Amino acid sequence: MRRADREIPRALLDELRGLVGREFVAASAAVSELYAYDGSLARGAPGAVVFPADGREVAAVVRAAARAGVPFVPRGFGTNLSGGTVLPAGGLVVCLSRLNRILAVSAANRTAVVQPGVPNLELQNALAPLGFFYAPDPASQKVATLGGNVGENSGGPRCVKYGVTVHHVLGLEIVTADGERRRLGGEAPDPPGCDLRGLLIGSEGTLAVVTEITVRILPLPEAVKTWLAVYEEVEAAARTVADIVAAGIVPAALEMMDAPVMRAVEESSPAGFPHDAAAVLILEIEGLAAGLGRQAERIRGICRKNRVREIREARTPEERARLWQGRRGAFGAVARLAPNYLVNDCTVPRSRLPEALRRVAEIARAHGIPCGNVFHAGDGNLHPLLLFDSRDPGELERVHRAGQEILEACVALGGTISGEHGIGLEKREAMRLLFTEEELALQRGLKTAFDPRGLLNPGKLFPPPATASGPARPADALSAAEEELARRVRRAFAAGERLRIAGAGSTAGGKPPAAGGEVLSTRALTAIVELDPANQFFTAGAGLSLAEAQEALAPFHQWLPLRPPPLPGRRTLGGLAATAAAGPERAFYGSPRELLLGLGFVDGRGVLHRAGGRVVKNVAGYDLTRLLSGSAGRLALITRLTFRTATRPERCAALALGGEPEALGSLAHRVLASPLEAVIAAAATDAAGGFRLWLGFEGFSETVAHQLAAAARLAREAGFAGTAAADYAVLEGPFPRLYAEIAARPFLLRLGVPPERAAAAARLLAARFPGARLWVDFASGRITAGLDHLEETAWQELGRAIPALGGHLLLERALFPGFPAGGRVAPPAGEDPLARRVRAVFDPAGVFAGGEAAEAA
Amino acid sequence: MTAVEDLKPDYDEIARCNRCGFCQAACPVFRATGSEAGVARGRIALLRALVEGRLAWEPGLEGPLFDCLLCGACTAHCFPAVPTAELLVKARSLYLARVGRKAAHRLLFERLLPYPRRLQRAARAAALGKRSGVSRLAAALGLLRAFGRDFERAEGIVPAIPRRAFREEHPAGEYAGAGSGGTIAYFVGCGVDLLQPEVGCATLALLRKAGRRVRVLENNCCGLPAWSAGDLATARKLAAANLARLEDSAAERVVTDCSSCASFLRSYPRLFPPPDPRHEAARRLAAKTWDLAPFLFAGEVAPAEDLRGRRITFHDPCHAVRGLGVRREPRELLARLRGAVFVELPEADACCGGAGAYALSHYDLAMRVLARKMENVKRTGADLLVTTCPACRIQLAYGVRRAGLKVEVRHLAQLMGGPPR
Repeated sequence: MRRADREIPRALLDELRGLVGREFVAASAAVSELYAYDGSLARGAPGAVVFPADGREVAAVVRAAARAGVPFVPRGFGTNLSGGTVLPAGGLVVCLSRLNRILAVSAANRTAVVQPGVPNLELQNALAPLGFFYAPDPASQKVATLGGNVGENSGGPRCVKYGVTVHHVLGLEIVTADGERRRLGGEAPDPPGCDLRGLLIGSEGTLAVVTEITVRILPLPEAVKTWLAVYEEVEAAARTVADIVAAGIVPAALEMMDAPVMRAVEESSPAGFPHDAAAVLILEIEGLAAGLGRQAERIRGICRKNRVREIREARTPEERARLWQGRRGAFGAVARLAPNYLVNDCTVPRSRLPEALRRVAEIARAHGIPCGNVFHAGDGNLHPLLLFDSRDPGELERVHRAGQEILEACVALGGTISGEHGIGLEKREAMRLLFTEEELALQRGLKTAFDPRGLLNPGKLFPPPATASGPARPADALSAAEEELARRVRRAFAAGERLRIAGAGSTAGGKPPAAGGEVLSTRALTAIVELDPANQFFTAGAGLSLAEAQEALAPFHQWLPLRPPPLPGRRTLGGLAATAAAGPERAFYGSPRELLLGLGFVDGRGVLHRAGGRVVKNVAGYDLTRLLSGSAGRLALITRLTFRTATRPERCAALALGGEPEALGSLAHRVLASPLEAVIAAAATDAAGGFRLWLGFEGFSETVAHQLAAAARLAREAGFAGTAAADYAVLEGPFPRLYAEIAARPFLLRLGVPPERAAAAARLLAARFPGARLWVDFASGRITAGLDHLEETAWQELGRAIPALGGHLLLERALFPGFPAGGRVAPPAGEDPLARRVRAVFDPAGVFAGGEAAEAA
Repeated sequence: MTAVEDLKPDYDEIARCNRCGFCQAACPVFRATGSEAGVARGRIALLRALVEGRLAWEPGLEGPLFDCLLCGACTAHCFPAVPTAELLVKARSLYLARVGRKAAHRLLFERLLPYPRRLQRAARAAALGKRSGVSRLAAALGLLRAFGRDFERAEGIVPAIPRRAFREEHPAGEYAGAGSGGTIAYFVGCGVDLLQPEVGCATLALLRKAGRRVRVLENNCCGLPAWSAGDLATARKLAAANLARLEDSAAERVVTDCSSCASFLRSYPRLFPPPDPRHEAARRLAAKTWDLAPFLFAGEVAPAEDLRGRRITFHDPCHAVRGLGVRREPRELLARLRGAVFVELPEADACCGGAGAYALSHYDLAMRVLARKMENVKRTGADLLVTTCPACRIQLAYGVRRAGLKVEVRHLAQLMGGPPR
């Protein structure tokens, strides 16, 4: 790069110095070298680096850069593995390393508020003494900052049990590309409107600069067990992985290492790995001590069934530490074998692991590149390590080619091109393996909606639109029903008509649509496209009802862990996703947003798109799956959905106790902060208007029994006398009658408040609407209420009171004329140019335009 | 030949950096600044750019090359164990040759450090200056301008300079001992000699209890400060002079109460690689050099004073923990002291920012590094902070004063009373 390319205008440098202080702006030939790289092989040529102190300074810096027309990139500790933080065409590095404070930890809400420059491990270390942890734990957690984790949607060994970053981030404070500061989400769950926060997570710093993050934290588990399982064959080890998950055991980590990596580890700092085996698994389960014994036995059984040679249990914390040290030191040990290594990152469905590993070995051999594997087997997330010397251009070229071929092989096996390291610069061309030209164009459109001038981390994620470098993935064949709907949308687009999407109409309560144009029903989309019990996913048409889906999964002893009110079984899958519907089990199992792996949708021009895929760890491109969750049919017509499925629990039982909402809430919070794994911690009103708390436990029978007893003990300690435990049906949950009652009411309200305010909100509702039927989820802070009456004055009153508690309010259904299709929200969404631009990308002609709920972020 | 080619032999080592960035978790300077210029990965990137011809030797490199504490924590966290501190010392030496050195540097390293008597006289001048409160220490002791413009602010780090150096009270020579440990040579570091004679007295007493005879050596500076500054010629000159003096010593063991000196004495063989005739002598010295803590560890100890109710914690000097691999010994020694409670210091092995004379030349950075250390000290609730390096002790004592903590900072030697009677 020539000097001229990387120079930043002197006037901008002076302005920046004025904004953040002289010593926090640096520009020189040395600085250009120092910020030329990240953890990948990519190189850039930045002209300067600026170190703002806080969100306010970040916004000022961004405004100055935008005014000067200088491209810029947000950067934490620069450990990105795909070139996401380098600036190949020059520009300004906005380094967020000074935003390094943990701002708040709330045990009551089970949240932490952090700045983006805090390394992941530093948060873990701060939480541990308080009895909590933050689930995503990238292997590089010592130096991977939380801002970077958000940018990449990072995973880690623990993600097989707990999910990735997007499942644990509740809110963001961002600075937009033109320097505006705003908040997306927060401690109150599921704000109405499309999930811009979900879109931003994994957007690799191309849509906004994150300046503050609110994350969910979890109580530390009570006990942990760790084993090393030794195999003669890689296939047998890989089969064990699939079998364990299929058996309904959710391990806390399921890592695999092959022979070359083990040898390297043993040669550098021995961890006790065998030198004559083909592969080992490091297996870890954690949770309640009472439940681990039987799980352990079952895991041993599965290992033996797959011809394990030896199973070694870590008997002491030291032995466990030694095993993990070997796993964490694996990259390092391999690093001694050659001057450099390239860590590849791709994901396949678990059952395809043996094949994927075989292909990786073949490709490496064909290019003459030494290769080892150490990876997150439980997620099907491979990390082939290709060894080379970066000073030899020929070798570098061969490594890049081998990397590309490995990605092609994984995509061919139903996987994706990045599980957690991102696309950045290095995998842009590989995006064509996954996306059609139309799909890429839509994502580029989103980039432009957020960053019209293309100054924020430009040139990342997407290959150039030209077709010169080869054709993109051809569009999927549409089912006849999908084609029919797409045609209708195309017609509406051409004619300037409006359409209103409807599923089973279960939230509409049978009332006729009042506004929003002709109804476009998804009820014909009932095909079950793919059901893969081994890999635990399920793809079906948007019109399939949840009851039908559960029935299809029943023979495999699996289910979609969703029981959304008001009429769980009748609701369509598309409707669930579009409305972000969830019952009180949402904090434990996740909402549709969290369970969705992929979507098919028709945009406002009638073009069919695919988003996401079949694997949990998937960070290729923007997360449209999350964006469309809760979008209430304003952006696109969802036609098919891929959900993660779960093994059905052996037993479901709840403890019920009556009391005042405050006392019930305080007991619920004690249970939620304990190592008990409460699936439900929600209070519901009974016919007499009193509150009852339900503490529900689901899983293996002995664990459930143990937890019921432990919860009863906590209740007694808190002064509750009579407690009664009762079993409930897995698909119905503990209060089907309440749901039916709520469904029968003409007004349906949905509230979200920070969990510690849930009792106050419940009290407020009960006082204002005597006779209302409602449930209040202390775990997530969501409340659903069915009301007989709701006058405008009462709505206005709530519209002030609930936001005052830090929450939001959605009127999902109301039987009065002129009620907008997507509900009414408080605080009012107002005019949001960003959301409007996002909508225009999906629906330029406003075919799906509706009511006021759409714009709230 | 150009300087670029001088780094060429190290190109393989430099190229082993994969830019994974794990050094950032370990580097005290990075934790204080968050800047790539202040961490191993960045410094290595600059060395690579120098080798590959993308950068020229220029004054802009001074910061990245000289801001490093040389604490070695990065290498301990580095998968391929790139020896950043060593590479940087080489680069510093090339920098001094290519870009130039300040006159004051020369005064200190060429005119004073090699001559213990001159150093003593300079220190005495400084002591007078300091006590009178009239003239600035910097004026009295011109040599310290070597440390640059930060020095005036840094002056407060050293609270008072003793009127008399250790060796003025205890001249070099042989002292009778009461122990059975043969002849022990006591290597007196400059810090103990000039600034902390009380530590020297405690050490000498301990050595006299352990050995039959103790020789207080007529050594000069071990050479570490010069080496750290990139002045390899001076470092070698100082080391050679020490070797010559020690060659004829009959001592079976050479003990020092400065972990930094001990670590550097151990590395003498690398200053004189094999064809050099001094290599063998260097190896012999390295083999019999002992840091005080492992030396004491072998014997029994009792507290030198009543420690009942005291809460003790320990700071690892970089040169002890990473230079010598000494971690267990001082802790166990302290834990053995009756009456006191030993508590582990979080991040005990992180550099305190003293780093020899670093704090004098990089005051702001050193203070930020020190602030983190003090936060950790506060968390232990200890009222007695112990270490085994005089430079660390000065820095830690300054930190305690700045933070307003009620914590006494002592050298390990001062707490050890020798074998119980």
